[in-house]
Amino acid sequence: MAFNVLIVDDSLSMRSVIKKTIRVSGFKVGEYFEAADGKEALKILADAWVDLVLTDINMPNMNGLELIAEMHDDQILRSIPVVMVTTEGSEKSVQKSMEMGAKGYIKKPFQPEDIKRMLNSIMGEAEDGESDDDQSDEGFDF
Amino acid sequence: MEKATMIKAMKVSISNVLETMFYQMVQIVDDDCGLQAWFAQGQSLLGATLNFSGPSAGSFYILIPVDMANEITANFLGLDAGEIDAGQRTDTVKEALNMVSGGMFAIFDPKGAFKLGIPEMMTEDDLSHDKLKDLQGDVILLETEDNRLAAAIAMD
Repeated sequence: MAFNVLIVDDSLSMRSVIKKTIRVSGFKVGEYFEAADGKEALKILADAWVDLVLTDINMPNMNGLELIAEMHDDQILRSIPVVMVTTEGSEKSVQKSMEMGAKGYIKKPFQPEDIKRMLNSIMGEAEDGESDDDQSDEGFDF
Repeated sequence: MEKATMIKAMKVSISNVLETMFYQMVQIVDDDCGLQAWFAQGQSLLGATLNFSGPSAGSFYILIPVDMANEITANFLGLDAGEIDAGQRTDTVKEALNMVSGGMFAIFDPKGAFKLGIPEMMTEDDLSHDKLKDLQGDVILLETEDNRLAAAIAMD
């Protein structure tokens, strides 16, 4: 099964590197979506089916923490796992992101293995949860 | 805040980022010759700057020769050096500074008291050889096998 992934980072180069890293990690991706900030990400999330969001924190217009907060306020979007991929490595940033609902945290600079491990861990969980009754009841078609 | 600790953290972070993401082994050069002497006259440079605020405020910057910027961009994106365009180069230099600065604060400021801004490119005029002596701050000189680069911390 392949997952649709949204990569949110104001650096086009970093988005490209993350995409390439996911590709070589062997993680199965259906479609990649890209956004340069939280606002663009929300527009994509409103129109497309996304299974996983990887987002930077420090971005113009709407940062990664604001994006998580907006997603958390939305009944459908709050179920999408979010992983922070960011230079912000302080304990405070990590703690705040996790409190706000992020499922994982990858610090830049990263090794391809860091991304692979995180995606397998999180999407493995998501896949395990597919047969849950509450998801079937909502009619999600993975 | 101790500036010396900040500079030490910056050195660790630069080495880490350049090795991990850009496959560049760098050596810190213990010299205070200044930027004008460090870079050759007529050498084309790219520079990025990033502000920080918190218990104290200031900015970081990084200066990289264009040919080295091209090389690290190619390494970063997994492309041939000949395929790299100016936009990819500037984007990569900004991201390099972003990662170096974030990594520095992760070492120096684990409690997260500082806030980082968004990296911006410096102008060609700021980077002209004549003006390099006017750039403020504590400079860190670095070299790779083939190139010289520099970073700096300037407090407001």
